[in-house]
Amino acid sequence: MWLYLVKRIILAIANIAIAVTFLFLMIRAVPGDPAAVLLGTRATPEMKAQLHEQMGLDKPFIVQIATFFGGLLHGDLGFDVFSQRAVADIVFEQLPYTLELILVSILWAVLVAVPLGCYSAMRRNSLVDQVAGVVTVATIAIPSFVVAVYALLIFAVTLRWLPAIGVGIGFWDGLIYLILPAFAIGIGWVGYISRLVRASMLEILGENHIRMARSFGISEWRIIARYALPLAILPTVTILGVGIAWLLSSAVFIEVVFARPGIGTLIVNAVNTRNYPIVMGVVLVTTFLIVAATTLSDVVNAFLDPRTREKLGHGKR
Amino acid sequence: MKYTIGNVSRRSFLKTGAVLGGGIVAAGMPLSQVIWAAEGKVLTARSDTEPNTLDPAYYTSQLEVDYMNCIYSKLIQFKPGSEWGWEREAAENIEQVDPTHIRFRLKKGIKFSGGHGELTAKDVKFSFERIVKNNTPVKVEWGSLDRVEIEDDYTAVMIFKTPFVPVWNISLPHGVGQIVSEDAVMKATKDGGNFGTTPPAFSGPYVLADWKKGQYILLTRNPDWAGQKPGFDEIRILTVADAKTAERAYQAGDIDYTTISLDSLATLKGAPPADTKIEEFPSLNYVWIGMNMDHPKLKDINVRKAIQWAINVPQILDTAYSGQAQVATGTIAPGIVGHRERALVPPEGDLAKAKEFLEKAGVTDLALTINCLNDSESSTIAQTVQAQLSQIGITVEVNAQDPGSFWSTGMESEGERWKDLQLNLMSFSSLADPHVSTTYFVREQIGVWNWERFSNERFDELSAKAVTISDPIERAKLYYEMQDLMEESGAYRFLTNGRTPIMYRTTKVRPAMRPDGLPLYIHFKPVSA
Repeated sequence: MWLYLVKRIILAIANIAIAVTFLFLMIRAVPGDPAAVLLGTRATPEMKAQLHEQMGLDKPFIVQIATFFGGLLHGDLGFDVFSQRAVADIVFEQLPYTLELILVSILWAVLVAVPLGCYSAMRRNSLVDQVAGVVTVATIAIPSFVVAVYALLIFAVTLRWLPAIGVGIGFWDGLIYLILPAFAIGIGWVGYISRLVRASMLEILGENHIRMARSFGISEWRIIARYALPLAILPTVTILGVGIAWLLSSAVFIEVVFARPGIGTLIVNAVNTRNYPIVMGVVLVTTFLIVAATTLSDVVNAFLDPRTREKLGHGKR
Repeated sequence: MKYTIGNVSRRSFLKTGAVLGGGIVAAGMPLSQVIWAAEGKVLTARSDTEPNTLDPAYYTSQLEVDYMNCIYSKLIQFKPGSEWGWEREAAENIEQVDPTHIRFRLKKGIKFSGGHGELTAKDVKFSFERIVKNNTPVKVEWGSLDRVEIEDDYTAVMIFKTPFVPVWNISLPHGVGQIVSEDAVMKATKDGGNFGTTPPAFSGPYVLADWKKGQYILLTRNPDWAGQKPGFDEIRILTVADAKTAERAYQAGDIDYTTISLDSLATLKGAPPADTKIEEFPSLNYVWIGMNMDHPKLKDINVRKAIQWAINVPQILDTAYSGQAQVATGTIAPGIVGHRERALVPPEGDLAKAKEFLEKAGVTDLALTINCLNDSESSTIAQTVQAQLSQIGITVEVNAQDPGSFWSTGMESEGERWKDLQLNLMSFSSLADPHVSTTYFVREQIGVWNWERFSNERFDELSAKAVTISDPIERAKLYYEMQDLMEESGAYRFLTNGRTPIMYRTTKVRPAMRPDGLPLYIHFKPVSA
């Protein structure tokens, strides 16, 4: 197991290094000049040269990337000339807003979807299962920003039950401001996860060890909770790991619709203004998040699945 | 089982929640407003972006000046209203002694916060000369300013190398005219450089009390301010990038004042939210289709004129702005010296005439590219131009780009892309002086911001002369001619100066705007006052 963990971590670091280098190359391949955007029509050649020097853009490409990775080793993500602040400060100031949005969205989605999926599997073809089937497929099909706009119009503009924009102040206030954005992101996941759990559950419930458990007279709920769910949940764990990338991209739209701060808004602005240090900082952090989430889901999978545990413990058979 | 957190049981928590929730709903108050509710008079406004800096010597946008107007003093300030004019702010007296000298005397008792003392002529000298000495991006707004000579603690003379008339419209009452504390800036920066987003001292009616990045900026009354008390105790400016989101937030009660998008204007005017007034102001921006005169396909003036005459401006404005923007007659906006009554080419154009020009050029099967920004408004304009030019047999490909890429297309310093530039949808913002709306088209700017590569000796002469003439009527004549020259070159088709519509809650706020619809927050009044 430990060897597996070490291998996964090395792979994760390699993934991050490759992704960041690739994006470093891509963003510089696109034409554009941060000086033109920042200084506007008042930019003189001298001022632009000065800004290029401050941003390190006058140096050869290989020096720029070496400086970036060299800085990383010292925990330095670079310096934003536009705002005269450290990139790490800017990124980590915005990151919690995106993380809380993603976590709350996925948490409520899992809390609703897993029982729903289990219930649908247990009561296959019942009215509840059929209605849930139609509704969940519909929620998967609707993009999160459409849900966001309608949720905002209904609950904030018309009913005025919830705030329309911002993140609030303090924990409880923040939770209230999270309701609509988290609903918009999570609703599609409810559909997705519940269908996934239902399908896995149906497969597991038909397996021999479950039939054996039933023959011992164990209650259906105990069979579901103790024997079926830990196996049925495995595909969901895998999907959640990969889904962090989807969640991050949904967050970009949702942050705009609800005027929330976050790294989505930050990177959109940074790309538009060719603010390379911020772009690289955000890319690094998001790549880390994605790689960490997929690695974590693999590890959790290995932990939950006795077959994988055994394989890792005893080597390949 | 009894669930408790601290001394609060689950039941009492739910009870309290229900009572609070019921109370809020019963009071008919949006939850968001309950959360924001605070003592005193609070203005909640919206801004589409955040300041890059609050240092006047390095300011990058009008938005930053809106904040600076609240936290610093200037010698003079713009008067709210429908006509451009200024009034004294920190200056007790100010006069143009001769074309190159302006003498001012400061009011006594204006204090900098943080114990940085009284605002004196020394601070004015430091603030103005710092911009010139540091060669900052906004140095150009001081024109030919040479130095400020101090006569006593409160009196000084600004000395210009040559007459610079725009000083009264773009320098003194605007961004570069903000006065900072020499003592505070030198302590904060050591060399008088950029202090970024952390002002070391305030000298205006408000101070920057809080700034949650990406969320809001909070301005509160400056306790050291001895001047006229501003209307609101607090101004909360929420950052809402998207105009539509801001409109929804207004309707939800989260904002009391916001600008609105032109394509929502007709709808909102038709069915305004309760207790709401919508007002429109002519903007100072200028939007045009530019043509690269040096491009082989556009070198012939007849081709350029054909394009000018084929473009139907009102049709474009109907499509892109739902008919809510006015046709431009040139680069200089209405209300500014030099604004032309009409353009040389009628707004509707004339397809027959366009075809005649094209025949005269002997060009057939012409295929061009139009560059534009990748926002929906710009794309719509470019697509409408594409459709219009197809009527005279010109095929146009639309090349929409993100801002980072677009704003370097015509720059020679950014490689060879300028050589491929053909048609370009351009939009510049401006200030309250015609100089700013024409200065980017001189020969010196070719390959910098003059992407049409318009080259006219007479234009350059007029541009240099116009900043020295103080008589507005005589000055206007020069700007009329300059815009005529631009249009006669065939390289420009002026579209619009845009409009700035605003929406505010009449039960909360009485706004005070510049003639171009930008907010002068320190003059905003609460309705109860």
